[in-house]
Amino acid sequence: MNTFDYSQSQAWFARACKVIPGGIYGHFSPAPCVPVSAYPFFGARAKGAHFWDVDGNEFIDYMCAYGPMILGYAHPAVDEAYQEQMKLADSNTIASTKMVELAEFMVDLIPIADWAFFAKNGADVTNYATMIARAATGRKKIIAIKGGYHGTSPWMQATGHHGLIEDDHANVIRIPWNDFAALENVVNQYDGQIAGFISSPYHHPVFADNEFPAEGYWQKVEQLLRKKGILLIVDDVRCGFRLDLGGSNEHFGFKPDLIAFCKAIGNGYPISALVGAGPLKSFAAKVFHTGSYWYSAGPMAAALACLKELKRINAPNVLRENGTKLNDGLVRIAKSHGYTLKVTGDPGMAYYRLIEDETLMLQQEWCGECTRRGAYFTSHHNWFVSTAHSDEDFQRTWDIADDAFKAIKGR
Amino acid sequence: MDIELIRARLNLYALLQNFEQLVQLDREVAQSVKQWNVSIQFSVLNGPSASLDFQNGVCKHAIGSHPNPAIRLFFLSPRHLNKMFDGSGTPIPLKGFSRLGFLQKDFTQLTERLEYYLKPDNARNEDGDYRRINTTLTLYTAAHAIKELALLEPTCNAVFSHTPAGILQIGVLPEGPYVHLVLTKDGISVGKGSHASPTATMTFRDIESANALLGGRLDAFQAVAEQRLMLNGMIPIIDNIGLILDRVEHYLK
Repeated sequence: MNTFDYSQSQAWFARACKVIPGGIYGHFSPAPCVPVSAYPFFGARAKGAHFWDVDGNEFIDYMCAYGPMILGYAHPAVDEAYQEQMKLADSNTIASTKMVELAEFMVDLIPIADWAFFAKNGADVTNYATMIARAATGRKKIIAIKGGYHGTSPWMQATGHHGLIEDDHANVIRIPWNDFAALENVVNQYDGQIAGFISSPYHHPVFADNEFPAEGYWQKVEQLLRKKGILLIVDDVRCGFRLDLGGSNEHFGFKPDLIAFCKAIGNGYPISALVGAGPLKSFAAKVFHTGSYWYSAGPMAAALACLKELKRINAPNVLRENGTKLNDGLVRIAKSHGYTLKVTGDPGMAYYRLIEDETLMLQQEWCGECTRRGAYFTSHHNWFVSTAHSDEDFQRTWDIADDAFKAIKGR
Repeated sequence: MDIELIRARLNLYALLQNFEQLVQLDREVAQSVKQWNVSIQFSVLNGPSASLDFQNGVCKHAIGSHPNPAIRLFFLSPRHLNKMFDGSGTPIPLKGFSRLGFLQKDFTQLTERLEYYLKPDNARNEDGDYRRINTTLTLYTAAHAIKELALLEPTCNAVFSHTPAGILQIGVLPEGPYVHLVLTKDGISVGKGSHASPTATMTFRDIESANALLGGRLDAFQAVAEQRLMLNGMIPIIDNIGLILDRVEHYLK
């Protein structure tokens, strides 16, 4: 099987480094893509479940723009809704009625939602959620999970990262995932001081197996927090609309007070949302939180079309079926080469690890070899499938995976 | 947090150990210490101590008290010691008065040579031999400083507390130097040379890349993308040790 050349990507990267810090920053940085020589840096175009880089290499994409592309790139219904709205107005001096239509649709779709608020990125709404929790309770502290990711605001980042000060974490308490006793301890220790508990619906850290909630975990959490007057905030930015269209909490059987969505809500158009229970609406109204482009109507129209399409095709089922199909094939191929591929998390957004090597070096080699053959795999992050991935894509992916296992044999 | 204490430990444990390499790497220094038969103890009152032992052209650095040093230099406080390392303070000699001439002349020349190698400029870095020695000493200094900061400095300690256990190897192609850090829940130990089974590796493509990055002239993200620095294995170890490494310069200027 041929492997790809990335000379144009590398040339663009050299240009980028002259004018952009780090060349490519944040979660798109090439740094966690190991070996970096196996990965493209710059894309040219994308369609369905595929993207093409600036060297003309075609990839079956298993990162889906790190989650947003739930229906596949350039989905006709979503793109048409966006284009139609753009003909009318996008950024404007006054609000668009599309915002109202989108909020109404979400309130109908999401059982706990009595209201919706829109922004651009996940961190906009996770921040907003904690502000509402503080406004509603009059308390300072927020509990979060160790290794949980809620964006890049200082309080969300781990201690020691550049640009942070100790005070940023003064009111954030981190506890281990799935550890109800730890939650009980901090709730008792800081009785009357805790405003909210923020967590993803299941634990999906990078570089580690993903973990579902233990049996009864969320129900016990919900009960304890209600008793103590602490708000339960679900960060559904990554999982949202993939596990259940009503919010991932429905999948796990519990009711949070606030849910933060982003990524899949607009199939790639820039929009995020916070939805909440009725009693919090007046506090949400009092917290001042806004941004220059938060009222852009184009992404709202795209989100409305995206959510309607997700509902029409029952997207969580499609994603689960697609993910299971992909995973079963990869596990079988790994086994045929003498490896055990461990798959954790939801099938449609699973994390993969070859258990023969705890250092991840083998995993990195295999993902790299797959990528340079046309199946874009990362070794550090959970993957994503879309509803656009086809059986043909999966067969091609399995062929690539098979060839990549042959390539790493004996290394 | 006692910044002076941290700096004193870095000076005694991270900087002073460089004499071990210096006498091997620099021909002039190797020649001048060939006949040395002397041990020097550096002790801070109620604080850290370390010694250098020169025998037969070899230097050995040790943490703690030397059993029978020829020269004993005493410091009233971490700050007192740090001032000596900054060039603005003098130690209190408690033993070896007959060797004061050695301290003032021979040993001072040696420390100046170390300073020469640890303080590069563009002109010096043009010289390949200089660049290799500077890179080697800087790499070893950094590794030992990381060990101390992970233990003592609150932010670094917090970072270290959520760093996975394992072995991080840092090296330069094609012929070194290599250093490895063994991370356990109790702390870090530093080993010179490569390791047979590292958990994570940071490998520089060449000495120029290592020199540029350690000298603060090359961005790490850029170096990775340009394959001048290759990462492998448990990246969270590299991320976290990188955070600690970035704080070394706050204490060792």
